[in-house]
Amino acid sequence: MTEPSAIPQPESVPGVASAEDGLVVLDGPAGVAVTMTANAATQTGHSLISAAKAAEQQIATRGED
Amino acid sequence: MFTERFLRDRCGVHLEVDERARLEAAISEIQTLPPRTNIVHAGDQVQHSTLLIEGFMSRYIDDRRGLRQLVAVHVPGDFVDLHAFPLKILDHDVATMTASTVAIVPHVQLDAIMLEMPQLTRKLWFATLLDAAIHRAWLFRLGRLDAVGRVAHFLCETNARLVSAGLSDGRRFALGLNQTDLAEVCGLTSVHVNRVMRQLREERLCIFRSSLVEILDPDRLTKRGQFDPAYLYIDNQLSNTTPSISRPTS
Repeated sequence: MTEPSAIPQPESVPGVASAEDGLVVLDGPAGVAVTMTANAATQTGHSLISAAKAAEQQIATRGED
Repeated sequence: MFTERFLRDRCGVHLEVDERARLEAAISEIQTLPPRTNIVHAGDQVQHSTLLIEGFMSRYIDDRRGLRQLVAVHVPGDFVDLHAFPLKILDHDVATMTASTVAIVPHVQLDAIMLEMPQLTRKLWFATLLDAAIHRAWLFRLGRLDAVGRVAHFLCETNARLVSAGLSDGRRFALGLNQTDLAEVCGLTSVHVNRVMRQLREERLCIFRSSLVEILDPDRLTKRGQFDPAYLYIDNQLSNTTPSISRPTS
């Protein structure tokens, strides 16, 4: 049986993106290691920011209840 | 002797003289194979198992788009498909990565060994369990480690296996893989591997150049890859012969 603490938890450490040979390389968090085109990286970035704002809104709403 | 490196320096499975002689006698043929040669296709019926004598070989699975995931890399002394003896049909392909020399052991010979020598059979079984242990470490590497960690873990593992086979001095070994191979091993793009290798070099952990790996700081590389060699069941007391290190043909 897996201990609750051994179950993957939300990452609080951000991944690090860098440009390499005309592509975007994302390292972390955890085991994430992915290479994207600039366009895919831009869209992923927008999607992440949008989702992060929505998540913050969810937390704020929860606090008001 | 073709089986010299089989289970060499592994804990509790030292081959007795008569066992090694029986295994040698079971070999029907020695083959030299060029690099990048497929020897087993997934789904094929297999009537023999293959012991790698020289070179590097891999097991791999291609996805629907033809993109390759290596699921095992074999070093001299490994049976590349001993599990084909009970399975008969493999669920993956097997191919050479470098020019390789292999010994063919017909399954009828393994049937005979099972009847004649139960202790040798148990040691052959150990070899397939060692494969399974390496697969578990492979899952850990891909599931839990970042890009640098994956490459560091793979290089530490390969170094340990080659030390055991007498083909690394613990710091330097010939590795006939290119960056695309490393990418397929570690589930990364070639661009990502290129960046990782530069990072390992700049951090003075390891250099991989012209098919030679030089480990500059074994302790830090081990730590970076979260590598613990226990799953390789190597008896360190026995690793005492001078290694032979030369660039592979690829």
